[in-house]
Amino acid sequence: MMLQYSFMQNAIIVSFLIAILCPCIGVFLVVRRYSMIGDTLSHASLAGISLGLLCGQNPIVGAFLFTSICGALIEFLRNYFRKYTDLILSIVLSLSVGIAITVMSSGKLHANAESYMFGSILTVTKADMLTILILSILSVLIVIFLYHELLYISYDEEAAKIAGVRVRLINYIFSILVASAIAASIRIVGVLVLSSMISLPVAAAMQLEKGFKVTLCFSILFSIVDIMAGLFLSYYLNVAPGGLTAIISVFLLLVVIVIKRIQSSLLRR
Amino acid sequence: MITINNLCFSYNGAQPYILEHLNLEIEQGEYISIIGENGSGKSTLMRLLLGFLKPTIGSIVMNKNRIGYVPQKNDFSNTNFPITVFEAMNSYRRLLKIKEKDVILHSLQQVGMSEYGKSLMGDLSGGQTQKILIARALMGEPDLLILDEPSTGVDIESQKEIYQLLKRLTTEKGKTIIAVEHNLEAVFHNSTKIFHLKHGSGHLCDAQNYIKEYVKNKEGGEDDVTI
Repeated sequence: MMLQYSFMQNAIIVSFLIAILCPCIGVFLVVRRYSMIGDTLSHASLAGISLGLLCGQNPIVGAFLFTSICGALIEFLRNYFRKYTDLILSIVLSLSVGIAITVMSSGKLHANAESYMFGSILTVTKADMLTILILSILSVLIVIFLYHELLYISYDEEAAKIAGVRVRLINYIFSILVASAIAASIRIVGVLVLSSMISLPVAAAMQLEKGFKVTLCFSILFSIVDIMAGLFLSYYLNVAPGGLTAIISVFLLLVVIVIKRIQSSLLRR
Repeated sequence: MITINNLCFSYNGAQPYILEHLNLEIEQGEYISIIGENGSGKSTLMRLLLGFLKPTIGSIVMNKNRIGYVPQKNDFSNTNFPITVFEAMNSYRRLLKIKEKDVILHSLQQVGMSEYGKSLMGDLSGGQTQKILIARALMGEPDLLILDEPSTGVDIESQKEIYQLLKRLTTEKGKTIIAVEHNLEAVFHNSTKIFHLKHGSGHLCDAQNYIKEYVKNKEGGEDDVTI
């Protein structure tokens, strides 16, 4: 019944797109142990949203541009503060949340920025859907095209350099991909729990202890389950989908861990 | 094949240098072991040879088609990384722009690991991981193999197999091998020449002469060798 509403149809299409996009990017973040970069950038996107709204532009485009800049800034600072990644994240988080709070508290925003914090089904417009569709398709195509480069930079950066991979350039491109996944997801999932979409389905898939491609496929599968369950339940419970999606992601991860434990204890007998 | 001319290096480009006025000539088919105490500049020299660092003064001239690099097995401490042997080999093949998939099987066969394609890298033992890293380095038929402490974290039996394989690669296939080593037994058994680095300086010497001097000094109660 709920499928007869056009806002729900938009939300389902967008959810499906981000359920594919987020783990495609998230898998590389998780295996590089950069999950916190995803978290930082998702918070940074709030500044992009508020700046977009302030300028009267599409906030998703604003989030994408600002998060891309923050991603590139992290990559640049990573070469400067080589062994202090957490410090870099603090710098970027301070800058972006500082901008967001300043703009939002200025009283000059003529739109509700709160829906971007928690995610909302009702606010997905046709224009948003088109922006998210373009971002998702382009990003997934780039991941497919750079798959081996991204995999090797994550697995063995020095070997990638010796094989002639332009590691720094690919890292900058990857920052833009992360920004794209975040910008595409904020409408439905919201800024606060966005990193759950990026890292938790991957964390669940990694419990299966399979190869990289299988892990990626299961990450997408878990991601679809998480976000669709979150979306449908949020409709019936009349709550924001972001929070429910995060709870379901954690729940699914726990289920996978428990099944794995039971399986291994049965095998030991 | 490789000529190092008056090489000096420091990370900030100023004196004091980590490596000072190194001169080195390496011919095709030689097995060179680079030895020295911690902090002597072994790893820095290796990174310069790999092109990760640029000389502050002097030059490194290489006449080779491709370098195969075997990192220290301990650098692969992330055993949770979800990647199979085949995926690690196949992606590297793609990066090297080698079209033939057969090269994977051929390389794995060379190190006796052709049956491990579906295994996860994290499930392999130290010796098995090292063999896979050598197989990966052999893809694309490189003239030069650079190895960083190939016996670290590897059991004795696997060490023997690995060094036999490396020796075969120089004697039968004419590959040039440069290995940063701490395993003196392996150095003495395999190397044709030894490059002993001390306080950033060093020179290449014949392995047999080095061993004689080493034994003589040991008998005299000295730990160091001066040739």
